[in-house]
Amino acid sequence: MTSESLVAAATILAFGLIVLGVALGSAVGDGIVASKAVEAIARQPEARPNIFTFLFLGVGVLEAFPIIALGLAFYLLLVVANVPALLTHLSAAH
Amino acid sequence: MKEEIGSHTLWQLPIIGAVHGDTILTTWLAMAISLILLAIVGASYRSPRAGRAQTVFEGVIDYIADLVSSSLGKRGEPFVPFFIALFLLIFLLNQFGFLPLKALGLPFGGSPTADVNTTLAFALMVWVIIQVTAIRQRGLGAYKHIFQPWFLSPINLLEELVRPVTLAARLFFNIFVGELLYIIIASIIVAKVSIGAFNLSLAAAILPFFIQFFNFFVGTVQAFVFTLLGIVYLSLATADDH
Repeated sequence: MTSESLVAAATILAFGLIVLGVALGSAVGDGIVASKAVEAIARQPEARPNIFTFLFLGVGVLEAFPIIALGLAFYLLLVVANVPALLTHLSAAH
Repeated sequence: MKEEIGSHTLWQLPIIGAVHGDTILTTWLAMAISLILLAIVGASYRSPRAGRAQTVFEGVIDYIADLVSSSLGKRGEPFVPFFIALFLLIFLLNQFGFLPLKALGLPFGGSPTADVNTTLAFALMVWVIIQVTAIRQRGLGAYKHIFQPWFLSPINLLEELVRPVTLAARLFFNIFVGELLYIIIASIIVAKVSIGAFNLSLAAAILPFFIQFFNFFVGTVQAFVFTLLGIVYLSLATADDH
């Protein structure tokens, strides 16, 4: 195994791990926010517009973190390690 | 056709130095569009019948005005136009990524909010307005809460100073990564990748529709979150007692 293929494999693995983590975390977080909002609306239906406002605020603030992590993961994949160029180089050498 | 992300045309200005020309041009275009749009909507008030555009705009404006007055009370009334303008302009700037203006060879295009200069300028503007309002209302007592438990004052100061940065970074990264995803999918489609008998590029051709829908949703929610966080920070800074 050459060092180039090692770098490509490790970067793709790291990309997968980052996407796994942020997808899992943001899905659980969104689920908690939505379930609490449904509970609150069921308890106090007249407070529905207020709850919707804070539901969207919470989801908007929460969704920023997976998006930032996804951006950093793509930066790792495409700029730091430049995996597409590495893969073309590896398949040409094969 | 070539569309790149993160690269800007540079203008050399005499005093300021290099600025991102395409971002500035697109922002001017968005400002012109919003002025014309609001002039048309405002002109509809001269006729006794409420048109469709007027009803939609009144819904948006009522919603933000209710938010401001529910969290700021009577003091928030002078800030209602500012927050409405902030929401409408950021919403319009976020949706500019839809139009493939740069791919057509025009010197402007893309979302100006996918450039960190724009979002940082918006965040600093909101932050400065909040500080000026707090000082005008309560004098230097506006900063008393920083020293409230004296041993926490560095953390309180940091919390105050980091707000514009998080406000700018949240908006910037959301819009930027939305455009980045779009460009990556486009490059996969253009590259004609096929793994064995499976044509990956053909399968990826359905994705841009969903990504643009996601971008529209994210742009709307982030414009709303930016405005609402500005209102919340203003209400925290001008609250009477802690």
